[in-house]
Amino acid sequence: MKKFLLFALINVFIFTMGCKRQNIKQGPYSYESTGAEKTATFDDEEPSTRVDSNKDINLKTVYFEFDKSDLTECSIETLKENAAYLISNSKIKIILEGHTDERGTTEYNLSLGQRRALRIKEYYTKLGISSNRIATISYGKEKPAELGSNELAWSKNRRVEIKKY
Amino acid sequence: MNLNVKINLIKKIHFLILYIIFVIFFSTVTAYANNDIYLSLCATTKRSDIAIGHFNVVDKNENTIKLAKLIKKIIKNDLVLSRYFNIIQIVSNDDSKEQLFSLRKNGTTIFITASVNDDGCDLVLEIKVIDVFTGEIIWKHSYKHKHSNYRYLAHKASDEIIRRIKGEIGIACSKIVFVNDSTRFKELYVVDYDGYNLRRLTKDNKINILPKWSPGGGQIIYTSYLYNNPDLFVLDLLENKRSIISKYQGLNVTGSFSPDGKKIILTLSKGRYPNLYMINMRGELLRRMTENVYIDTSPSFAPNGQEIVFISDRSGYPQLYIMNVSGGNVRRLTTNGYCDSPAWSPRGDKIAFTMKQARGNYDLCIYDLPSTKVTRLTYNQRNNENPTWSPDGRFLTFYSNRSGRGEIYIIAIDGSGTRKLVEIPGTSYTPSWSPILS
Repeated sequence: MKKFLLFALINVFIFTMGCKRQNIKQGPYSYESTGAEKTATFDDEEPSTRVDSNKDINLKTVYFEFDKSDLTECSIETLKENAAYLISNSKIKIILEGHTDERGTTEYNLSLGQRRALRIKEYYTKLGISSNRIATISYGKEKPAELGSNELAWSKNRRVEIKKY
Repeated sequence: MNLNVKINLIKKIHFLILYIIFVIFFSTVTAYANNDIYLSLCATTKRSDIAIGHFNVVDKNENTIKLAKLIKKIIKNDLVLSRYFNIIQIVSNDDSKEQLFSLRKNGTTIFITASVNDDGCDLVLEIKVIDVFTGEIIWKHSYKHKHSNYRYLAHKASDEIIRRIKGEIGIACSKIVFVNDSTRFKELYVVDYDGYNLRRLTKDNKINILPKWSPGGGQIIYTSYLYNNPDLFVLDLLENKRSIISKYQGLNVTGSFSPDGKKIILTLSKGRYPNLYMINMRGELLRRMTENVYIDTSPSFAPNGQEIVFISDRSGYPQLYIMNVSGGNVRRLTTNGYCDSPAWSPRGDKIAFTMKQARGNYDLCIYDLPSTKVTRLTYNQRNNENPTWSPDGRFLTFYSNRSGRGEIYIIAIDGSGTRKLVEIPGTSYTPSWSPILS
């Protein structure tokens, strides 16, 4: 009987070790992955945004869908026009300023604005503009272009402004 | 079947039964051992009746009489806001047997009287708490402070009354910091928990956002666009001095203090996609917490300092997740809605957050960790966001635009007793409740 007790205790020990955190996923960054998306990597350090910037009339603002940072066909057209200008004016450095509409929290929108700015930076670099000419900043929902709580105002606030410095 | 086989079979059955008993026993034990100790929490227990008598003025000075009245009003309000008591106002400070007998008949158990005196230099408040049944003084204490600090004097006394009678910490000496845009810019303001003593902290004419009080109460961290980049600042309240903690290129936002006040977890973008990082108070990177293209933000430490709750849209829309501060072990908590701005409760068993259902508004919710149940606190009152906990874990302060513009409110965690914190023009956002300040 003693033998059995000992055996049972060992079993219990193994079991308790095993069931500790049994319902929890192990390992670093073990989140469910939804696709083969990769973190953006740019070769160069981003230039600083700590400068006075001006809105450049030659560069058009790009607009987004609600809670999205994907580029629409319309925004791709705008970006191509902007890119052509930037390629022919190779000394100009730009700041991509990401904004969101007022819906959702301050925190979430700051990251959403940053993601919008980065999507555009990625696209510009694909079109051949060197990444060391492009800085990104997010204002989230803190600097709306249009005041108001309606779809018209919201659609004008979900944007990335391109400023030169 | 020979005897040996039979014995073996019996032995095996014995073993199996023993094994099952042990498994059941130990699995329940380990289920508890995996969690921290959880205490039940309820904002409205049965309230006790408490009588407040007249506050006697010793020196008969007009100014002292005025201050005595104010102090009584503040203490009475503190006791009402605590939601522990029903207050019975008594005009006299008579603690004679007849007076106590009449109080006893009405079911009152505690009688509070006080005297206020100007000792020529400071204001002196002496509080007496009397047991109505025995007529004995349960506790008395003198508080002494400058005349101008009469509010603090009163709050101190209120907290001690609550501690002596209920055995719980009082929150009358706490403050709330928030953002307001009435100057057209976004500046930080601080106000006492009862809505008095409103004060502006920053005058930058810039965007200052997301203030968070340090666990020690001496500092407030926040993000400012003062130098055209969202940098993380710290405001030292004692020395009235501010400095930059973290100024990486891009986002330095949603900073959250570790319970020991030595580390901060925040969202940095550094020219890449925003991710969570741990830094020390000098801004040095200690650890990268997440690494992906999704939005991972709004971290809040567990009070034991071992885990954080944060939001991520890795599943397609923002949800609450918990991870270890050492990195990894990511678990999803919520399964529906848009969830954001989580705040871990001071007792560790609950997480307050905001959730938006499809076509709905953002409502305050509480996730109960032991039961994994979600309780909704607000209904049909437009958007309710950014809850943070009172130091005693019985209340939340939060943003709501229920009045038509964004203002700061306080609610008990059972969803009762909502009050507007303070009247201030413009829109107010993102409150953070201080610890108990001394």
